Parts: sequence; structure tokens; C-alpha cells
Amino acid sequence: MITAGIDAGSRAIKAVLWESETGRLLATAIIDQGVAQAELARDIYQNLLQTAAVDPSRVARVVATGYGRNLVDFATTTITEITCHARGVRCLAPDVRTIIEIGGQDSKLIRLTASGAVRDFAMNDRCAAGTGRFLEVVANRLQIPLADLSALAEKSRKPAAISSMCVVFAETEIIGLLAGGTPPEDIVAGIHSAVATRVAAMAGRHVDSPIYFTGGVALIPRMASALSEILGQPIRTVERPCFTGALGAAVLAASQELVAQP
Amino acid sequence: MSAAPRQISLDEWDDRYRELHASGLVEPAYGGPLRRHFEEGHDLRLRTLRFDNSAASLRLWNLLLTEEDRLRECRRQGRKLVGTMKDLGTVPVMAYAFPNLTAFYPDGAWWIPCVMEFSDGLLRIADSLGIDDSFCPVRAMLGAFLTEAHFPRPDLLVCSVGATCDDFSCIAQRLNGLGFPILWWEIPHRRPAESGEADFLMPGGMTLPMAQVGLVKSELARIQSAMEELAGERLAETMLAAGIRRANRVRRCLEELRRRVFMADQSPLPALELLIAEMMAIHFCSDQEQAAQALEELLVQVRARVESGQGFGSSSAARIYWVNPVSDLRVMNLLEDCGARLCGTDNMFCHALDLIPENLPPLDALAGMALMDPMVGSAAERAGRICQEMQAWRCEGLVISRIPGASHCAWEGQIIADLVHDRLDLPVVELEVPPVADAFQSSLRSRLEALVETIISRRTL
Repeated sequence: MITAGIDAGSRAIKAVLWESETGRLLATAIIDQGVAQAELARDIYQNLLQTAAVDPSRVARVVATGYGRNLVDFATTTITEITCHARGVRCLAPDVRTIIEIGGQDSKLIRLTASGAVRDFAMNDRCAAGTGRFLEVVANRLQIPLADLSALAEKSRKPAAISSMCVVFAETEIIGLLAGGTPPEDIVAGIHSAVATRVAAMAGRHVDSPIYFTGGVALIPRMASALSEILGQPIRTVERPCFTGALGAAVLAASQELVAQP
Repeated sequence: MSAAPRQISLDEWDDRYRELHASGLVEPAYGGPLRRHFEEGHDLRLRTLRFDNSAASLRLWNLLLTEEDRLRECRRQGRKLVGTMKDLGTVPVMAYAFPNLTAFYPDGAWWIPCVMEFSDGLLRIADSLGIDDSFCPVRAMLGAFLTEAHFPRPDLLVCSVGATCDDFSCIAQRLNGLGFPILWWEIPHRRPAESGEADFLMPGGMTLPMAQVGLVKSELARIQSAMEELAGERLAETMLAAGIRRANRVRRCLEELRRRVFMADQSPLPALELLIAEMMAIHFCSDQEQAAQALEELLVQVRARVESGQGFGSSSAARIYWVNPVSDLRVMNLLEDCGARLCGTDNMFCHALDLIPENLPPLDALAGMALMDPMVGSAAERAGRICQEMQAWRCEGLVISRIPGASHCAWEGQIIADLVHDRLDLPVVELEVPPVADAFQSSLRSRLEALVETIISRRTL
């Protein structure tokens, strides 16, 4: 059975085609989010089908997730990103007990039971500190490509203390640090720690291992080590972290289809 | 006259109202179509809400949305108005023990910016007075006092201070400075009786230090004197005892209403109407007798629905316990849209829902109840009560609704969430709900839907 998962996130739309019998991803696609969200979702789905050379009639079910999920008008149904990320990561790492997902504009902490069901979760979508947006702001301010932040942070010998709880004020703080002669690598390392601290605050006193890291920010290697330092536990980054939400949606689509079949 | 339970829009209420009238609906003086509050009262938020379609709920809404008219009528008739602030359920019991006093909660103005979708301008007035949005939305009260557009200037203003909300104290102090003199009374932070210290046993098993009860009793006696002066008559103990019995009529009704709503297989009353009904416990909508009658009619409706197995949503809806009232009423509809139902609430005034002991000297009983206020005790005690109720009402998840700017919400949410995790191992979601939350609908919906999905998946474990 072939199913599709569309993760209409706040910064990008991710889509996958998944074959349930083999557990194989037939195709993946990602595109920046925009104003015409429904149209973008349709386009990315068409591209996905073309890439995999799959006729739409062969797709048993499409599940949409992410903030824009209700705008994906061709989806069979919608499921929240909490459930989808949990299922997607579980599919890739069956031993997972805690998921940290950091996206462009939000972050989530999801706790799972040993059998893989979501036990509870926490979300931060009201504050850019603790999201990828924070890193983007810093990259812009320091005029460094986002992809180079991690490597720069690795050079730090004394990460700067970033005390502001707000991205806007943190930017002011960065200007002050630069004016005071703090090397950019220490500022960048400090920002990684600040994001990690913010995310760890969502975990409270309940963090079971193993912890897996996913979402677009998981592509920045330094973030995993910053999280590991703050939480005092190893952090494993999942494969292709941008796609775990869409993968989970596709896996759940297959489960739903099996239940729906007579 | 009865119809299958359904949540209907303001437009649909027009037809439903005609149908009810055609079938012989008899309404109190404040009755009428719901639409008039939208058109004449500019209660714009009503067009976005979905309402219970029963005649009993129509009466409840009409009672709520005519309070301003009622207060003006009281003033015209020469009744004395007492603005009771912050204690949420104690002082009004005393005020209504006097035949010619009417009490109301100016704090209730916090919902005006929501109901009127900011067209009231009250928050702008508060801003101009230096009470900006870093304070709780109850700051709208300042604008309401200054414009007198929502209630007349009261003859007496009473406000509790001490172990109360910091925000509210600041707002009330500002009000006092604007020429609205306040009779302040002190409520101490509740503590357990120490070893060897005389204690006072409350129903439910909580023991209070006798010294604290004595302090609050002496404070209430000061308020009593001020009310006696205003009313022009002495408050005999028998009058106060009768006032307590009248308040208990409302509380008994609400106790059964909540139990039936929370425990029924299918919810017999939507979350929105339950929230409005619960609020009656603290303020009686400025008419204690009508509040009691409206609630009793609602209870009859709920009993009938439970007995006939009728209700809202699915019997498998996720059973949610809700902490703190929402600034935007629309969020209560959203809960049901997401596949959940309300099976427990703690709106910071659970002491106003508990029966006042009738076997104690009346002032002692009132003092004890004032000390049962969840806000004058520790957050851990409040969390303990929430856990007990969640178990009793078979709740599967908790929503903690934070009120932007409200100082009492800063940390208590985490304390409550931690205890619910530790004791009950149930999922918890925290929401922050501004007075008009339209821009946050998708975010709020995501959280509530994720909570419902989590609850449903946990059922199979």
C-alpha cells in the first residue's frame, strides 16, 4: 500500500510517499512555505508523484499534519504534528522514549511510553527563543550563513552567556557583546546553549532516555551537543530530521487505511 | 418546546427563538432573542460562538447579558449598590442578606473586551492610566468605572487584599486613587494550624488556624458595619443565616449540575454554558433569586437530557479537566470542536461552589469559606484538589489556561502540571488565551487536538 504524508509547517512544506509493505520511502520533497499554502501543498504533492512515477490513484490515503494541515484540501484526513512526529521517529528508532523537535518557528518535547504511544507533550510556539528562528536571527546579525553556524560554534573556547529570554532583546545583547569584543564563535556557541536551555525547560523533571532529536534544527550538529550538555544525557539525531512529521503522517495513513478496509 | 440538544449559531437562534415562542415559551422580564445583545448591546463576540439550543440556556445567557440593565434599574429604584471585588464569592453572600442591597462584581468587566471584541475601548483607558497589558485583563474594570457605560458608580466598594492577586491589588489601588474609595479588607495566606494551636474544622476535612479565622471574621465584621450603615439597618444573625441558605440554594444546584455534566456518558451541557453557569456562584448576576431560578431551570434540562440519554458530542470524547477561566469564550467551543468534553473545572473560585456550613455561627462560616479560596492557599494545595477531582470525575487530561498578565498564573501552572504528572500520569497542556484569541486559533487548536489524540491513543494501552 502506498500512502502520502504532507507536513505543512510554518517555514516549509515537507512531503513523503511511503510504501507500507517494505517500509520504504518512495520519494520525498520539501518546499518553502508561502502565502498560497493550499496551492504549494498541491504542487509539492504532484512533484512527489512525478518523482516516484506513481499514479495518484495508487495512493491509498493522504494524511496532512503541521500548522497548515487544514489547508491541504486533498488530504484524506489531518493529524497533529505531535502524533505524527511521534510515529515518524518511532518508525526510524523503535527504542525512542523522548523526542525533541525544533522547527523554524516552534519546538516540541514529546514523551512516549515503551510501546510507542504518546504519553504527554509540551509545545513552545509563542516565543522564538527555543526555535530555529533564534539561530536565523543570529546568523543574519553576524552575517554568517546558517549552515556555517555549527562549525563556528565548535571553535568557541568560552561560550557567551545570553541571558535574555526574548529573541528581540537577545539581538540587542548580541550587539552589546560584539561591541565589547566577544568573538563571534563564542556568541554563536552561547546562542546554541540558550536555545537548548529554553527547550530543556519544557522537559521539566521528566526526561526518559533514549532521546531523539528531529526537526529542521536537528540538521545543525552543534544543537544536539548543546542539548546533550543541558539535559545531561546523550541525544541521538534521527535520519533526515526534516521529514519525520511527514513520514509519521504517511505511516498513520497506512494504519488508518487498514482499519478502514472492510 | 424541547429539541434534540444541538449547538447553534446566533443566526440559528433567531429561528429557534421563534419556534420556542410559538410553542408557548414564557420568559422572565429580561428575556428576549439572543440577537438583541449583538445588535443593541454590541456584544460582537456572540456571532462567533455556538450556543446550547435549550430554553434554559437562553435564559442563562439573557440573565448574564442584561446585568448592566439590572444594575441601572436597581439604581433607579433606589437600591444601594455594593461593588465586591476579588474575594470571589464571600462578601456578596453578606450583601444579599440585606433586603435593599445589590452586590455585583466589577471584576466581571474582564470579559467585556472579549464579548465586545475590543469595541468597548476599556483596555485603552487602562493603558492610559499606566495599567498596560503586562497586567491581567481585569484591568478593563478601570475603564468601566470611569465611563460608567457598564455599571453605575457603586455606593460602596469592598476589596480583599493580602494573599490575593498582585495584579488585582495594583489595579484596585489605581482605582482607589482615581476617586473611588475602597473599603479594603485583609485576607491572610492560608496555612495549616501549628501543633498546639487552636484550629477550626471546615467541611471536607481542612483545618484552619483559629487565629486566621478570627482575623477574617473581624475583617468581615468591619464590612458588615459598613453595609449596615449603607443599608440603614442592622444585620441580625438570623438575616445572615438566611442569606447563607439562599447562597447555598445556588451552590447546591451548581453542585448537582456539575456532577451530572461531568459524570454523564454523553455531555448534557456544552462547556461554554457550564462556564457561564459556574460564574453565577460568585456574583449571582446581581439578582440572587433569578440566578437560582435560571440555574434550577438549567438543572431540570440537564436531568432530562441525562435521563433520555441525549447530549453533545460523542460518548467517547476525551474527558478534560480545565483550570482557570478563559479570557476568550470562543475557546470553550473549540474544546468540543477538537473532540473533547469538559469533565471538571477549577476556575479559581471553587470555595464559591462549596456549601457554606449552616451549622456554624454565620460569620464564622463565612470567614472559614473566605479562607478556602484557592488563591489564598498554596498552589500545591490547589493542585491537590485538582488531582482529587480529576480522579473522581475520571478525567483523562488536563488543560491549564493561563491568563496573559495575571500574576497568579506565572508559576502555578507548572506546579499543577507536575503534580498531575506525578500522581495521575495524565497528559497536561498549557494554553495562553488572550481576550480575543482569533489569531491563535490554529495554535490553540493544535494543542487541544494533540491532547485529544494523546488521550485516545493512551486508552489502548
